[in-house]
Amino acid sequence: MWETFIIQPMVNLLLWIYDILGHGPQMFGLAIILFTIVIRGITWPLNASQVKGAQAMQELQNDKEWQDIQKKYAKDREKLAQEQMRIYKDRGINPFASCLPTLIQFPIIIGLYQSIIRAMAATPLDMLNLARTVYPFQNVANIIPLNSTFLWMNLGRPEGIPLPFDVSFLPNGFPLLAIVVALTTYVQTKLTMPTTPPNPNDQAASQTAAMSSSMAIYMPLMLGWFALTFASGISVYFITSNLLGIVQYAVTGRANWRNLLPGGNKSTPTKK
Amino acid sequence: MLFFRSKSNFNMKKINLVILLALGAILLSACSGGRASLVNTWPGLAADDVQAYLASGSHIYAVDVVTGKEVWRYPAETDSNIIFYANPILTSDGQLLAGSEGNNHELVSIDPETGKDNWAAPFTGAEGKWVGSPLIFNGAIYAPNSDGFLYILDMNGEQVSDPIELGGALWSAPVTDGSYIYVTALDHRLHIINPATGSADEPIDLGGAIPGSPAVGEGGVYVGSFSSNIEFVSPNGNHEVLTTASNWIWGSPTLDNGTLYYADLDGTLYSLDIASGKQNWDAVKPDGPIVASPLVVGDQIYVVTESGSVLALDPDAKVIWEKAVGGKLYTNPVLSGETLLVAPYKAEFALAAYDATGKQAWTFTPEK
Repeated sequence: MWETFIIQPMVNLLLWIYDILGHGPQMFGLAIILFTIVIRGITWPLNASQVKGAQAMQELQNDKEWQDIQKKYAKDREKLAQEQMRIYKDRGINPFASCLPTLIQFPIIIGLYQSIIRAMAATPLDMLNLARTVYPFQNVANIIPLNSTFLWMNLGRPEGIPLPFDVSFLPNGFPLLAIVVALTTYVQTKLTMPTTPPNPNDQAASQTAAMSSSMAIYMPLMLGWFALTFASGISVYFITSNLLGIVQYAVTGRANWRNLLPGGNKSTPTKK
Repeated sequence: MLFFRSKSNFNMKKINLVILLALGAILLSACSGGRASLVNTWPGLAADDVQAYLASGSHIYAVDVVTGKEVWRYPAETDSNIIFYANPILTSDGQLLAGSEGNNHELVSIDPETGKDNWAAPFTGAEGKWVGSPLIFNGAIYAPNSDGFLYILDMNGEQVSDPIELGGALWSAPVTDGSYIYVTALDHRLHIINPATGSADEPIDLGGAIPGSPAVGEGGVYVGSFSSNIEFVSPNGNHEVLTTASNWIWGSPTLDNGTLYYADLDGTLYSLDIASGKQNWDAVKPDGPIVASPLVVGDQIYVVTESGSVLALDPDAKVIWEKAVGGKLYTNPVLSGETLLVAPYKAEFALAAYDATGKQAWTFTPEK
């Protein structure tokens, strides 16, 4: 199932892009970038619904009726939940709309990682698996093995710029790409966070805000660690995907640039 | 009360988030087929008259071919930085050479009798993993590495000259016709090297990756590749396509008395009469893709399949015997005396021995 619906299409798409690019040096890196753009294009509506859902949820925090029920049913959580669901229904808001694209991202990341490793075919068994993965109509005998060189990197190995001295915890050298991955992830996460702090009476909103804050810390660290540890091809995907995400938020006018500034999200909440 | 409940929920959310992120990390880690601590491809195998040498994961195992018992393992203690899977080779001066994958990409020399190191230190000058076995020629070791270099060492493991840069990853053992050294590469090219000068002529592009060694014949070599072609290449670089298989050719062709045996990933075994250029039989298709090279012993042709079968055929393709070994058979079968050794991948055991009639003599599973 996973192999048929995720890995095979991804590997074949990667190989197809690599082939039409001319399958020389640098081309596998470009293929990953183009592949990411395609995946981002396919998931654009989902991401847009995430942004829209998050925006609607944010606006709801400032809604008079929403704030009133927080106060009115502060001691009756069951009733509060019922009222919240009623408002969601009345306003046509899906509270889970902002979660779905994030959940979809995970299989894509894992699938892409496996696809890159599969396409790089570093061992005989990997090569044999690659032969199995290729669709019969693809003539890839002339493009295998892939050229894994991209800029200063070998896309099948963790990235690092050699240092003139040994650092035991940086066996691959200075992890430039991992830092860029962490930074772009941080920027993208911060841009999506609400500019207004939650109503202190609104438990759900407070928890969501706390979760967002945690995400802004943990996600860059986790993806940075991935970039540090795994094949650098995955880092190229992360960076491209993050930059496209930032562009998407900017184009749709929903990027909260103030969040990037110290104290930028400390503005006073407004009431409708 | 509300405060405590709220704080508890908040903590739960944080815990859930951390669990989610950790799960993602574990999932991605589990997907990293190339991690050094995992056995990520099939084993290598060699044998002399008394012992089999199995390169499998963290160790090389010497196994008595009569009893099937372990004689020694190298290294004695597991080192997670070392993975062996290239076929080890025995040299005429009593060394067992084996290359590994791992942080140091070690090429080691072991005493086949004791399992102890021969060299003062392993050779660690290569950048990539060792997939192909070395060639011993004129008292020198020609060791192909996946970093694209052919390393030249003396029999004590010291580099005697600069490595020859050939370009693509070298996964197969070089061969020699006594004058030249032939090295195949995954970048589709066959290199012909003059060992006297260390120089290589313009490489020959065969149109597909070449994971197998050439077979040396009269006046040249026979090479199969992912182009599905079998080509004959002369030392002067002239080459011609002799025949085309139905799928990629992985294993080395085997030449025996004017007949070239080879197989493809479609699972077809071929027998080409070199003189006439005609196939000796219609397509013979055992039960699965064939990666390993056919082994010819007297009038019997042994072939192993990915489906885990070992077959003995006569020269007319009649099946003499067939056994289901289990697991997947990718490793070249090896003969020790009259005992046929096969090393399955992902089977209940790591090595099995058969006599000439197909009767299983023993199986070997390393003790932990």
